[in-house]
Amino acid sequence: MVRWLLARLGRAAVAAWLIASLVFIGSRLVGGGPEQLALGDAADLSSPTGGALTLARQQAAQQAVRHRLGLDLPLFYFSRMAHPPVQWQWHGPANQYHRWAVGLLHGNLGYSYRDGQPVSTLLGRAVAYSLPLTGSAAVLAVGLALGLGLYLAPGPGGLRRLLLGLLAAWQVTPLFLLALGLLLLFANPDFLNVLPGSGQAPEEASSFELASYWLARSALPLLSLVLAVLPELTLPLVALLRHELSAGYATTARAKGLTAAQVLRRHALPNALLPLVTTLTDLLPSLVAGTVVVEVLFGLPGSGRLLAEAAAAHDYPVVVAAVLLSAAARLLGLVLADVLYFLADPRLRPPA
Amino acid sequence: MRYFWLGGLLVLLASACSTTPVPQAFAPVRLRWARDPETLDPLALPNPSAVDANNLLHLSLLQIDYQRTTYAPALAQALPRAHWLGDSLALLDYELREAAAWDSGQPVLATDVDFTLKLMQCPGLPNENSRAQFGFIREVRIDPANPRRFSLLCRSQGQEILTTSGDFSVLPEASLDPERTLRSFSLAALQDWPAARPPAPAVAALVQRYQQANAARHPNNIPGCGAYCLDDWETNRQLRFRRKKDWWGDKIQPTPFVLQARPRELVYAILPDDAAAALALRRHELDVYPQVPARIFQQLQASPAARQDFVFYTTPSYDVLTVGFNTQRPTLRDKRTRQAISYLLDPAGLMTATQLGQGRRTVGLLRPDNPFYNDSLPLPIYAPARTTALLRQAGWQRGADGQWRQPGGAPLALTMRYRAAETNFATVALQLRAAAAQLGIAITLLPSENSVVTTSLETGDFDLYVRLVKGNPFGVNFMPILHTDAIGTGNLPRFGNADSDRLLAAISTEGNLARKRQLLRRFQVLMREEMPLLPLFFMPYRLAASRRLQHIVAAGIKPGYAAMALSWPASPAPAGQP
Repeated sequence: MVRWLLARLGRAAVAAWLIASLVFIGSRLVGGGPEQLALGDAADLSSPTGGALTLARQQAAQQAVRHRLGLDLPLFYFSRMAHPPVQWQWHGPANQYHRWAVGLLHGNLGYSYRDGQPVSTLLGRAVAYSLPLTGSAAVLAVGLALGLGLYLAPGPGGLRRLLLGLLAAWQVTPLFLLALGLLLLFANPDFLNVLPGSGQAPEEASSFELASYWLARSALPLLSLVLAVLPELTLPLVALLRHELSAGYATTARAKGLTAAQVLRRHALPNALLPLVTTLTDLLPSLVAGTVVVEVLFGLPGSGRLLAEAAAAHDYPVVVAAVLLSAAARLLGLVLADVLYFLADPRLRPPA
Repeated sequence: MRYFWLGGLLVLLASACSTTPVPQAFAPVRLRWARDPETLDPLALPNPSAVDANNLLHLSLLQIDYQRTTYAPALAQALPRAHWLGDSLALLDYELREAAAWDSGQPVLATDVDFTLKLMQCPGLPNENSRAQFGFIREVRIDPANPRRFSLLCRSQGQEILTTSGDFSVLPEASLDPERTLRSFSLAALQDWPAARPPAPAVAALVQRYQQANAARHPNNIPGCGAYCLDDWETNRQLRFRRKKDWWGDKIQPTPFVLQARPRELVYAILPDDAAAALALRRHELDVYPQVPARIFQQLQASPAARQDFVFYTTPSYDVLTVGFNTQRPTLRDKRTRQAISYLLDPAGLMTATQLGQGRRTVGLLRPDNPFYNDSLPLPIYAPARTTALLRQAGWQRGADGQWRQPGGAPLALTMRYRAAETNFATVALQLRAAAAQLGIAITLLPSENSVVTTSLETGDFDLYVRLVKGNPFGVNFMPILHTDAIGTGNLPRFGNADSDRLLAAISTEGNLARKRQLLRRFQVLMREEMPLLPLFFMPYRLAASRRLQHIVAAGIKPGYAAMALSWPASPAPAGQP
């Protein structure tokens, strides 16, 4: 089992590396972005200049930006000459990919093009915002899904039907609409003005006041995330529980005198949970990658927003590091799903 | 009883976000930014938020006076006096204010100006934009008799250098280069330093020191002579600036507008979403909301509660929504074809659709209130009949299939590029496509990501484009966007010839107002005839602010208001009373 686990983790690490390498090379093949970001718009007249910016001067400035960011080095160990005759050229270790890979092996994710800060610092700061939010949302959503699943599984009923309908409606509602609806509902002076959508923590506040502020501040983002993921977890669980309840062993259990609730919790639930493991581990990348929509709408500086803004600004070092982190989380999620399967059902374990 | 915990939680949450008390005279002014400044390095400033922040921390020789919409002396005692040398050089005389001082109490001197301009030329720093922008200043001649007096030798005779020559943050030499190593290099030597040659050791050491200061993230490491210092910066959440207690600007009485710094604290909240920002304003979590989108502005104005709490300003900006033509494309090489297509655009309808009728229509790139505006030209209109006539004049014939062809040529079909996710651009593009389709002209829309659009436009890979030409009220130099030297960079329509270049150069250097008026009227007629681009209308800037704020100066220049002029009344009025 340990050997299997190590092999899976090793394969996951290699896959994450390959994904990050592809993103690294692909992003740099686009070209133009970092130079434009640094030099601004040549057709912008809002800050008057001493004459027209000539093509030669612009190219010189672009070259200076590329040199400062290390983008003037060859991209990879070898390249093909752009002009005929077709020839391959070997660049040795003086290339962008080698520098990035060596840096990564030394724990250096590089520096942001936008502000020159270490990517690890930027990413760490953003994940510190996202992780508690998405983590709590995941825990809450799982708890609620279990509760709702157990309540809705036994069968038809007015309230149950209504709840199932609501969950189905939520499932097809885009997250931005859901979050915006909550914002307009609970943080709107024209309606219910009970929760803050943005705002600053009170200055010179006691720890209780700060905790209260953050509790209130995170209520709407948390609610948005929980409501967004709840149908995805609950509806399959209800279907699985109902399937299990109709199985022969459940009938036998009831015949032996167990109550419907006992059958549901002790017998049907453990069997129904197994397929849910995959859904749960699928949530893992979102924990570190954050959710852009919620972070933008509620003005939270999380990792989803960091990644989206870095991609828009062609800040490749941040993009590559965030992709690496998300890929690692995804692959770890898959390994975790396998481990949970093995624990839940020993028949699935790999041969020793 | 079983739901008691839920009730308690709701009470706790509600108490945590109770309504904001009426602000006191020294309460912070809270403003909205749509994005984080990302870096506060005074040499970089990649976005409007960074520029706003920099104006709080640092000062230039000249600053924008939002009240009068002009440049006014800030560190400088007065606007520069110009001496024109030969036919291409200018000498601008400046003198620094006697009171101007760094936080250490040391005076701001001409050597600091010289140092800053040299720092802009040091390789390895994020100064490529400054280097290109201020490369026209070749030398700083310091008066040996007065360390505050100096002259800038400029390689240009354009009128705009009178203001642009003083529009850069002056940095302290004593803090960044205490050993004065840069003084051994002339500004011209640093500008002309070959890119392939490694920098001099002294320059490399200075660059390293500057990088270690990490001004991008810790701007207080480079003390500025502005009125504020950065108190707190939570990336993508908020920035808090605190006013310096003993700021040198307070000693100047009466204090000029550009040196007024009233708020004790300025807090910029980063709220990327407009709907969330509007709600934050309504909840009094914000005091100033600039650049409000049209629909949200309308909703706010329609709300009686919002009208009671906030004041609303609409000011025409200097940003003009424009459709450009690739004048080097075979199909669009004939100016009559370009004119024909321009009659398919409906500026009046588009202004109503995108800006609810606010904004200002124009005949050209100058705003109608500009003294050089050519009011003899008619406003552009939607007139498909003229399109048909002009296309026929240009040799296009409509075939049985409804398409337009020149003899032996392919059907008239065009592509249009614009930045995706920009609704105003998309509306223009869709209107033109619909109008063109009715005449049998196919227009393919190519919305793309910003850098893709820019690259395509600079390399001439387009027929038409939609974009905003961001202007200013300080000068009338159109060389960056229409001179042939700028083809491949700012001259996106790839327009121009020797005559138009001469006219543009003459406009930029002409000092006599009567002659300048003549030249600019000619320029506007030329633009209308040649039609390299069609300005549709000037966009409005909309501002919503707390009714209790005083000294709100709404302006048509970004950011659309003067943050340092704002203040709360000395004694708070009763709640709910305007």
